[in-house]
Amino acid sequence: MKKSASSKIIIVLICLYLVLPLILTFLYSIFTEWNEVLPKGLTLRYYKDILLDGNFLISVIHTIIVSIVPFIICTTVVLLALYVIVVYHPEWDKYTQMLCNIPYAIQGVILAISILSLYVNAPQPFSNRFVMVVLTYCIVILPYIYRGLKNSLDTINANRLIEAAQMLGANKFYAFFAVVVPNILSGITIVAMLSISMVFGDFVIVNIIGGSYFQTTQMYLYKKLFQSGQASSVVIVVMFGIALFMSAIMNSLKNKGRQNRKETN
Amino acid sequence: MAYISFENINKYYGENHVLIDVNLEIEQGQLVTLLGPSGCGKSTLLRCLSGLESITGGKITIDGVDVTNTDPKERKVGMVFQQYSLFPNMTVTENIAFGLKMKKMSKSDIEIKVLEAIEMVDLLGKEKAYPANLSGGQQQRVALARAIVTRPKVLLLDEPLSAIDAKLRKALQLSIKQIQRELGITSIFVTHDQDEAMIMSDVIHLFNNGVIEQSGSPSNVYTNPKTKFAAEFIGHYNIISSEQFHRITGTANSVFENVAIRPEAMEISLTPLEEKENFYQFHAVVVNHLSHGNVLRYNVEVNKVQLQVDVLFRSFYLYENGQHVYISVENRNCLAI
Repeated sequence: MKKSASSKIIIVLICLYLVLPLILTFLYSIFTEWNEVLPKGLTLRYYKDILLDGNFLISVIHTIIVSIVPFIICTTVVLLALYVIVVYHPEWDKYTQMLCNIPYAIQGVILAISILSLYVNAPQPFSNRFVMVVLTYCIVILPYIYRGLKNSLDTINANRLIEAAQMLGANKFYAFFAVVVPNILSGITIVAMLSISMVFGDFVIVNIIGGSYFQTTQMYLYKKLFQSGQASSVVIVVMFGIALFMSAIMNSLKNKGRQNRKETN
Repeated sequence: MAYISFENINKYYGENHVLIDVNLEIEQGQLVTLLGPSGCGKSTLLRCLSGLESITGGKITIDGVDVTNTDPKERKVGMVFQQYSLFPNMTVTENIAFGLKMKKMSKSDIEIKVLEAIEMVDLLGKEKAYPANLSGGQQQRVALARAIVTRPKVLLLDEPLSAIDAKLRKALQLSIKQIQRELGITSIFVTHDQDEAMIMSDVIHLFNNGVIEQSGSPSNVYTNPKTKFAAEFIGHYNIISSEQFHRITGTANSVFENVAIRPEAMEISLTPLEEKENFYQFHAVVVNHLSHGNVLRYNVEVNKVQLQVDVLFRSFYLYENGQHVYISVENRNCLAI
């Protein structure tokens, strides 16, 4: 009993520690002044200003696109690579792992500047800023996606399922994508949440590569920091809301299958 | 002509020669067991027949068709794996229907055949359950239904009962045998359990180090082991050297190397039995005894040679350790190997 109460207190304290900055940011965004103990001038004016700002909406759309597209590209490429590794060449795994770990060692600034200097004069579409940003993020999230998907495949023993499907008349490619991949959907969802949140919060890479050509919410926020504290707080709260919404969707997708299984039993 | 034939099958894993010139013929409708210890090559041979493994040399035919280099799906072979290998995201019905969908059968035909298969393996009421919510025995029955629903030419069972508890295993052994008889599917069963092999099989092929040591009916293999390995593996035989045999029986030396005597072929008594022709009888001392459920196994010593003697546990009387007893055994139960 005592143990349960103490663990609850610890959880509540951790939750408070995590939520408190957000609550304060939100409070700051709905008052015009906060120079004394209590804030003054309750208003939603800053929300109205930001949400009606076309630049903000465009930057939100840009952020969502550059968060999701690299994940889709990278996951597709890694799944195809893993198909070859799992089915035909398991001995290649160690080399692929090594290759996929390289981005860990490269700092964002160095990566962004290197790509910019290498591709800025390249022919289209490689010199297109959007393409450059997306492909750079593909490199950044590659280690997380590879490791996450490989672990998921190891957990379900993909080879065993492929062999079973083969014995029932499926070819290896069909067996991998129609039998194995649906069984690692929860792993894919976790990888998606990890990589999308990472890109969602990035400022360095998109600022260097995208610059004035391609604005995301992080860059928008950076500009607002010099204009108004309340406005930047609004941007932070809205971004948090969007991230929370995206996480909730992915979480519900992950739990949907599990829930269905429980209900049928 | 045999229904399934393996001709000079060789298989290497790198430098490791796991199947060495295996020649094997299986008749249609038989339930054949590949029996042997772990790593002897029995599962590899099964996987070579399924097409999941390629062979290094030789030829495999099923129903007169050379399938040596064909894909698994072309071979019309069903397989039940040791770890069930059910698809976790599919229900019992979906798992069983998978093979039929691959055959592009109509939805109504699939429904009928799946229901038949579910009835056959006694899983009615579990149609919508997921594998994670089934017991090991139920999962294995789904795996069996999934393998037979497509009516394959050959059913392969790769140690399907090894992960199941003893009581359920016995029930499933009978269930598999009954279904196999009912459908008449030629089946190959891989196991390392000699009792299981004896119960299930029409024919046993005993494997050791990539070669078939002995083939025959269960009773034939059990009562007439041809090699020391066969005697040790299949019947817990007492294997004694020719010299030891002559020391305890008092007979003259012969040319054979070893003598194998089944523990249950010997009789133990407190007083000498009446002298009979074609029987050996000798004096022994009980060293210890172990209970194996319905069987008592006595370790006795005869002229510094240790023997095991099995007795049915039908009375409360036990021979004490150190007690002097008499052992008698029929001549024909002392096999020269």
